[in-house]
Amino acid sequence: MQRKHVTRLIFIVALIILAVVSLYPTFQLGDLQEKESELFSELNAMTGLSQVQLTDALVTGELANLVRKNVSADSQEIALETADNLIELNQKIDKVSAKAIRQGLDLRGGTYLVYETDLPELLQDLAKNPDGRLEEIIQESRQAVESEGVDFFVALEQSFEKRDLAMNRYFGRKGETPDEIIRDLKLEAEDAIDRTLEVLRNRINQFGVSEPSITKQGDRRIEIQLAGIQNIQRAKRLIGQTALLEFRLVKEADMVWSILDDIDRVLRSQRAGKEILDDVETETDTTFEEGEVADESEVSLEELFGDQDTMSEEEDTTVVVDEKTFSEKPFTSLLRRLSGQANYIAVPAKNLNAVQRIIQLPEVQDVIPNDTEFVFGRWPINFNEQEFHKLYLLNKEPELLGKMLTDASVQISGGDASLTAGNPQVQMELNNEGAKIFARVTGMNVGRQLAVVLDGKVASAPNIDEKIPTGSAVIRGSFSMDEAKDLALVLRAGALPAPVYAITENTVGPSLGRDSVQRGQLSAVIGLALVVVFMVIYYRASGLVADFALLLNILFVFAVMAGFHATLTLPGIAGIILTVGMAVDANVLIFERIREELRGGKTVQAALDSGYGRAFTTILDANVTTLITAIVLYSFGTGPIQGFALTLSIGIVASMFTAIVVTRLVFELVLARYKIKTLSI
Amino acid sequence: MQFFQNLKIDLIGKRNIAYVVSGVLILIGLISLVIQGGPRYGIDFTGGTSLHLAFEKSISAEQIRESLTDIGLADAEIKQMGTAEENEIMIRVEQQHEGAETAGLVETELGNDLSDNPYEIISVQEVGPKIGGELRRAAIMAVLISLLGILIYISWRFEFKFAVGAVAALFHDVLITLGIFSLLNLEISLAVVAAFLTIVGYSLNDTIVVYDRIRENMKTLRRETFPNLVNISLNQTISRTVITSVTTLFVLLVLFLFGGQVIHDFSFAMIVGVVIGTYSSIFVASPIVLEWELRSDPKKRSGRKSR
Repeated sequence: MQRKHVTRLIFIVALIILAVVSLYPTFQLGDLQEKESELFSELNAMTGLSQVQLTDALVTGELANLVRKNVSADSQEIALETADNLIELNQKIDKVSAKAIRQGLDLRGGTYLVYETDLPELLQDLAKNPDGRLEEIIQESRQAVESEGVDFFVALEQSFEKRDLAMNRYFGRKGETPDEIIRDLKLEAEDAIDRTLEVLRNRINQFGVSEPSITKQGDRRIEIQLAGIQNIQRAKRLIGQTALLEFRLVKEADMVWSILDDIDRVLRSQRAGKEILDDVETETDTTFEEGEVADESEVSLEELFGDQDTMSEEEDTTVVVDEKTFSEKPFTSLLRRLSGQANYIAVPAKNLNAVQRIIQLPEVQDVIPNDTEFVFGRWPINFNEQEFHKLYLLNKEPELLGKMLTDASVQISGGDASLTAGNPQVQMELNNEGAKIFARVTGMNVGRQLAVVLDGKVASAPNIDEKIPTGSAVIRGSFSMDEAKDLALVLRAGALPAPVYAITENTVGPSLGRDSVQRGQLSAVIGLALVVVFMVIYYRASGLVADFALLLNILFVFAVMAGFHATLTLPGIAGIILTVGMAVDANVLIFERIREELRGGKTVQAALDSGYGRAFTTILDANVTTLITAIVLYSFGTGPIQGFALTLSIGIVASMFTAIVVTRLVFELVLARYKIKTLSI
Repeated sequence: MQFFQNLKIDLIGKRNIAYVVSGVLILIGLISLVIQGGPRYGIDFTGGTSLHLAFEKSISAEQIRESLTDIGLADAEIKQMGTAEENEIMIRVEQQHEGAETAGLVETELGNDLSDNPYEIISVQEVGPKIGGELRRAAIMAVLISLLGILIYISWRFEFKFAVGAVAALFHDVLITLGIFSLLNLEISLAVVAAFLTIVGYSLNDTIVVYDRIRENMKTLRRETFPNLVNISLNQTISRTVITSVTTLFVLLVLFLFGGQVIHDFSFAMIVGVVIGTYSSIFVASPIVLEWELRSDPKKRSGRKSR
């Protein structure tokens, strides 16, 4: 054997060993996961808990406790041992899977979400003294981004220029140029997305998803992959919450009534108001036609807004408005006052739209004092099978902010509050500074209501009965246990700097994932077999050599993927299968060339030499162009397409190596060992 | 075993027939595209929602439509999928507004209305209109940039006229595949665009092999006329072209038949593309180089007599 053969052989063998080593964790993972599911079913048989419950507990570290609670005394020992094994195995799987090829969500089931931070909203929050003009500018920029796809900051700058308005009126300092301000804003935005990422990571980790992947995509998007999650809706609700928590004082009843009167007066005299009320009238007319109880349509204003005790609950539920009252008191006749709890006004769900629009009217805004605003309740309430939204008049300035919060947990409320007894409630603990402020605020405002405002909506507005020095506060409301848990969780994990919204969602159920894996494997095996057999028939012994190169090629593709801890997706499998078809191309080129040379009367060695030599440039040129498209696909594509482009690129590079270097070495070794006269090709 | 040995087919002489065939195919595709109002984009590009659900018991499209009417989605497209026993339903909603929330609404509504017939999610896809537009732009950019890259690479390795021939062949392939998709009323999804780009790469692969042989023969067969030279090169490479296409088609057919519905359209686009790409590398790419050469250098025109 010649020396150059030996070095090459060693090199190739080393590569193969390296490939096998890098693939080992992937093989190992399969075994471990099988064992894991065995342990799960054992535990399931012993405790009767579902796999979802067990997984949740495993992720949050509560498994041992949960098992202990759910198992009879005599089998406790075995069950706990199984749980321990499971925990240990789970840690091992975590370690191994960090080095294995990951399966994409399309193969194992799960949800892929892309969130975008609301940059315009963030800027509005950052501005000093925001006003109508700024709002207009931001709206305009938002539309420019959506319709023309320009960069938001470019659009913003243009918008300012068009109006000839100095940017430092709203952002930055005096004397700063627009460029400097934009640069600072960009930094702010970058910081905001980083914080968003952190907050989302916190929330998702506490939610208890195994192996979530949360990554930044571009400069304002966050990509979230949740494998095998069962309750997508709940997860989405949880992820998207902004969780800006404020404590704000509720205005005294007297003041509220006088403002409501003012609004009625303004509406009576304003044309714009009438237009909206025309719509409302149609709505109420319909209700009459539907045959709602006529008596209840004539509820007087005294009854509506008089002493709460004079009203019976039945009357409260009527949404119908008396036409005469309506023309006198156009706004207040849309509202109701519900008995039972402290003073609050409620809007029947049917009237919600009209009320919101009236509040937004500039004339109405003029009569609402600058330091107060109307805020709706966070959860609609049901009263005699009718839906209502509470409406509060609050101080604009919060007394206390959520960042002073140190902990939040769920409790079941006691029997004192009649409406919410036995309901879940969220208990919050404040830090020292917060506790001090809280003590002062509650001390000074005994008898008033303090609203807990979450994301601009009132979660609850309990009465301050006495000074609270301990820094404990409670959010009450008609929410379910799950909602309370998620609320506590969101409060603990912190607020998002700006709202986020899902711009794309892709969910693959576990059954489709399984189906895809099976079909992918089946097609890969059949396709491979066809090509292998064809090559042997067409090129005989040389075909075998090409087949060997092909198998090595597939081994290398998987090894590189494992090495980079890449994700295998269904399009990725398609890419590999396609590579199988195209990978033999290099050998086909070489073999055809060798045949030509042999026909031309060359010896085997000479034919091999010129075959490989001449085919090389062709193979290079042909593959580089495919590589160009694959790289473009990778850089412009998203998730699944990138998977395809990645496997295709690795496949191309690996196939050039195996088809040119490996097969040639095999031929050379055979030629050196046996003096053959004719080549089986 | 050998299919082709010392072939001497006058491929170049038949190029006029090929021009007509290609022209007709492209024309039919374009007419279909015009009639259909452009390619039919999937929700990847338009934005919208699609839910594929498997119900436990049998369910009719009417029941689902009734339920969806309550949430203002009466005009959703509802299709039965799979076999009758599988009770699989595909719901498609074109979405006009931002914020991907339709899927959640539909899931909740169906869960409430049809609580006696629970469903399992096969897949849900929801794409905001904004991201759809972005993807459309990105896809067009990807095609243009890869064409530019190829143009530069081939001009550098060969000559500019070869690059033009190759790129023309690529347009030819993509236009015809697009036309066939339009004729069959198939949707252009993200995966299909990926397939198109792969076709671009594949067809080019074929074309370059032929070009390489032409370049090589230009050095060794100096006495041949240019049309003859091209013809000889095509004949020398045709067995490789066919064999590679055959192996690729093997695996694509397997993908098409056994790969499952998710990659069905993808593999179909690839099959069409490989067939047309193979044809175009023989009958479009090289003849264009030939025509260019003949027009720029009239002396070589004499070679036409040899056919």
